[in-house]
Amino acid sequence: MRKPPPRVPGWLIRVSAWYEDGYAVYGDACEEFYDLTETLGARPARRWFWRQGLRAFPAFVIDYAVWRMNMLRNYLKVAFRNIRKQKGYAFINIAGLAIGMAACLLILLWVYDEASFDAYHEKADRIYRLTIDANLGRAMSAPLAPTPAGPAMVRDYPEVVQAVRLTRPNRSTVTVGDREFFEENVAYADNSIFEVFTFPLVEGDPRTALKTAYAAVLTEDVARKYFGREPALGKTLKVGGGREYAVTGVAKTVPGNSHFRFNILLSMETRYAESRPVMENWLAISNYGYVLLAENADPAALEAKLPALIEKNTGAVLKSLGGSVTLRLQPLKRIHLHSDFTTDIAPQSSILYLYLFSAIALFILVIAGINFVNLSTARSTARAKEVGMRKTLGALRQRLVGQFLGESVVYSLLALVIAVGLILLAKPWLSSLAGRDLGLDVLRVPWLIPGFLGLALLVGVAAGGYPAFYLSSFHPVRVLRGGARVGAKNVLFRRVLVVTQFVISIVLIVGTMVVYKQLAYMKSKDLGFEKEHVVVLPGLDSVMRNSYEKLRDEFRSVPGVLNVGVTSLSPGRGVMKSVFQPEGYARDQSQPMDYRNIDPGYLPTLGIAVAAGRNFSEELASDRTGSVLINRTAAEKFGWKDPLGKQFIVPPDQNTQEEEIRLNVIGVVEDFHSTSLKEKIEPMILFYDPTQCRDLAVRIAPAGVQKTMGLLKAKWKEILPQKPFDSFFLDEAFDGQYRAEERIGKLAMRFSLLAIFVSCLGLFGIASFTTEQRTKEIGVRKVLGASAGVIVRMLSREYLLLVAIGNLIAWPAAFVMMRTWLDNFAYRTSIGLWIFLAAGILSIAVSLLTVSTQSVRAARTDPIRSIRYE
Amino acid sequence: MKDLTKIEEILLVAIWRLKEEAYGVKIRQHVSSVIGKDLTYGHLYSALNQLTDKEYVEKTEGKPTEHRLGRPRVYYSITPDGLEALKGAMAVSKKLWSGISRYALEDSETS
Repeated sequence: MRKPPPRVPGWLIRVSAWYEDGYAVYGDACEEFYDLTETLGARPARRWFWRQGLRAFPAFVIDYAVWRMNMLRNYLKVAFRNIRKQKGYAFINIAGLAIGMAACLLILLWVYDEASFDAYHEKADRIYRLTIDANLGRAMSAPLAPTPAGPAMVRDYPEVVQAVRLTRPNRSTVTVGDREFFEENVAYADNSIFEVFTFPLVEGDPRTALKTAYAAVLTEDVARKYFGREPALGKTLKVGGGREYAVTGVAKTVPGNSHFRFNILLSMETRYAESRPVMENWLAISNYGYVLLAENADPAALEAKLPALIEKNTGAVLKSLGGSVTLRLQPLKRIHLHSDFTTDIAPQSSILYLYLFSAIALFILVIAGINFVNLSTARSTARAKEVGMRKTLGALRQRLVGQFLGESVVYSLLALVIAVGLILLAKPWLSSLAGRDLGLDVLRVPWLIPGFLGLALLVGVAAGGYPAFYLSSFHPVRVLRGGARVGAKNVLFRRVLVVTQFVISIVLIVGTMVVYKQLAYMKSKDLGFEKEHVVVLPGLDSVMRNSYEKLRDEFRSVPGVLNVGVTSLSPGRGVMKSVFQPEGYARDQSQPMDYRNIDPGYLPTLGIAVAAGRNFSEELASDRTGSVLINRTAAEKFGWKDPLGKQFIVPPDQNTQEEEIRLNVIGVVEDFHSTSLKEKIEPMILFYDPTQCRDLAVRIAPAGVQKTMGLLKAKWKEILPQKPFDSFFLDEAFDGQYRAEERIGKLAMRFSLLAIFVSCLGLFGIASFTTEQRTKEIGVRKVLGASAGVIVRMLSREYLLLVAIGNLIAWPAAFVMMRTWLDNFAYRTSIGLWIFLAAGILSIAVSLLTVSTQSVRAARTDPIRSIRYE
Repeated sequence: MKDLTKIEEILLVAIWRLKEEAYGVKIRQHVSSVIGKDLTYGHLYSALNQLTDKEYVEKTEGKPTEHRLGRPRVYYSITPDGLEALKGAMAVSKKLWSGISRYALEDSETS
């Protein structure tokens, strides 16, 4: 037997001749193929066969399209006629789908924006950040690197092309002429930042801008703020009250989707000029490091070589300390969504939120899709006659499926148009959700229009699929004879879908309530200090610290001021950790502790209670050098029943050979939360050292806050006329730590409202449909003496049951989910039973209200009219 | 009036000529060699269908053969109506071309 003709062109020939004689045409072609195989050989025969198939195809397409067009016009006409005839149902379907799609598309855009972080750098795929896992007395994991590591890697490994070092962008005072500013995001950086990253310079030379010490590059915004329209290049400014910097460049403002931002960059060379030993110390780990790899370099292979780099440069020192340092490489594009460091360069997002929000948006779309399925199948009686007629007239089942699918796509396209309108309205809200202006530029996103259309198509087909197959399955004779109760079979299916909708809605409601309960708990919990009515003046620099005593005394004399104190770090503003050696522990058993520097005024200012012993005293000079306070947790951890008089040991410094110092515990303070309630209270040690303090705290009387603030500001201007007055309220700053949770709460609330709204839309549709179907029954019942109440109860009972079942399924699911979420918090609220009851009552009340709009109307209609109906 | 399009005329002549052998493959090959172009089956059968609709030809099925993967040959034969039409076409053709020699056309090409 010779080889049969190729399949694909054979198929093309067969379908092209679908109208008639298909079998003859294909037979002819095959016969000729075998003849050609004999005369010319197999290959030319195959080629001939292919040519036949390809040439046949265009005619087929054109022919098909022409014939289909007429039917299509008819289908569209019927679809629009249905929309017009059934305005209510059409509205429910389209509005629901529009809301679901708008939610989905908004989240999609947001996800796209989040995923685009740092992608604008031309060499983004080759840039890696150095991160560290170190154990130097205590374990730490941070996105930091030893300062000399980057340049050493460039020197030692050919696959490392360039390295950039960057200090943490900080808030700093900037003096321009005689004006002072507070500027955010001031950082030191290597000049290579302009070559590795894509930060184009508007003015200045990117090759040399940061090469010399005391050079500064400003962003456009900052340059305009300082110098107006004049060119900034060549101007000078002072940073942090120190030496003058020359402006050597102006950079384009950093895009919003960057994992770090800068307003001013200062040259790293400056740091060398000021403190070379620190810059060359491999164990001074406080700067961020980025490396640019060569094309095709293998980051995993490079990472494997890094232990050798550490060993070579600082191995001996590490051994003497008994510590370890491991360097890792983190791809630039993963920083924003895939890393979770408390010491990150700026707060980053988490891929988990992306998943969570996407899932919620998808749920809303599912609810809207369920409405569509439910209403279409419920109303199948209305379409049954049409289906029967079309089938009688020769319509194939697959054509009918096509018609109904097309109809649902028409619905979803209409919904898309409305959804786009909703998106435009909701954009500001989305920006607040993302915490920054998203600048959703439609033109910037190339897949936007095809993506939206694709989604509409997908939704149309997914939601229309079941109804299409169901509707097209009707038997023509049975439906045309009339009286057949089509659709009755589907009641169970519809009920399951309604329950699903309410399960989703109720889970969202419970979730929202738990988030809000936890937020309220965190904001109202006794923190161990009184956060209200405390004004903090942050960021004292050396000049301000010199005036500290004067400031303190002058402020105390201001009416309305109750107390004044200073600290190195206010609660909720970060962590200061180090290791200390308590009495009874060996040197290598040093304990990690939080530490703070304060002055005697600080504890009363914040209202932190002293549990045992005494506060620091200004009169006792020894308090400044040899005394410390600890918190209750520390005393308990070290097992000190009577902590007063216990000691901490500070070993002698190896370089200066001083004696070891002993610090006496003179008091124990009650535990207070120095960080958010996500973290447990750690052992804490407090030192008396105003020279290390950066935050001035002022407790003011609750009455006349504005007036007191004005007086404080006036005093400040009097004492430090050169320095800008900056302040925040402690409670606001502390609660600001829960911004992510607040965002989730807001989002969950809005989405659960949407979910319940869309669910109720569907319920409304179904209820009004079934009520309409039972019009006659209701009439008869009324004639026989049923009261309106009985009728309403009868009509509502079914839906009430469905919502109740939904509650029973949703509760355990929500409970498990929210308990997992609450595990993020060291201090958490309970998930009270009342939350579930409230969600249950809310869902039942809302659905009852929805259903009763229909049932009450039905119950009140004149029975004569109902009986006459049909 | 029994009118024919050009392709119908060509096909009718081919079927008349091929007699017992007038089925898809042979008709296509014959016509392709006459017009000097490869005629596709799509063209062939749409024209044959027109002829069938006008009842100028009728179809009979032959036996399925191995090389046709089980599909029978469909033989075409000319009906009396078809023969009438063919005669008419021939007369028109003769009249149309009467008195014009091949050389006359070639002359006008060179001038």
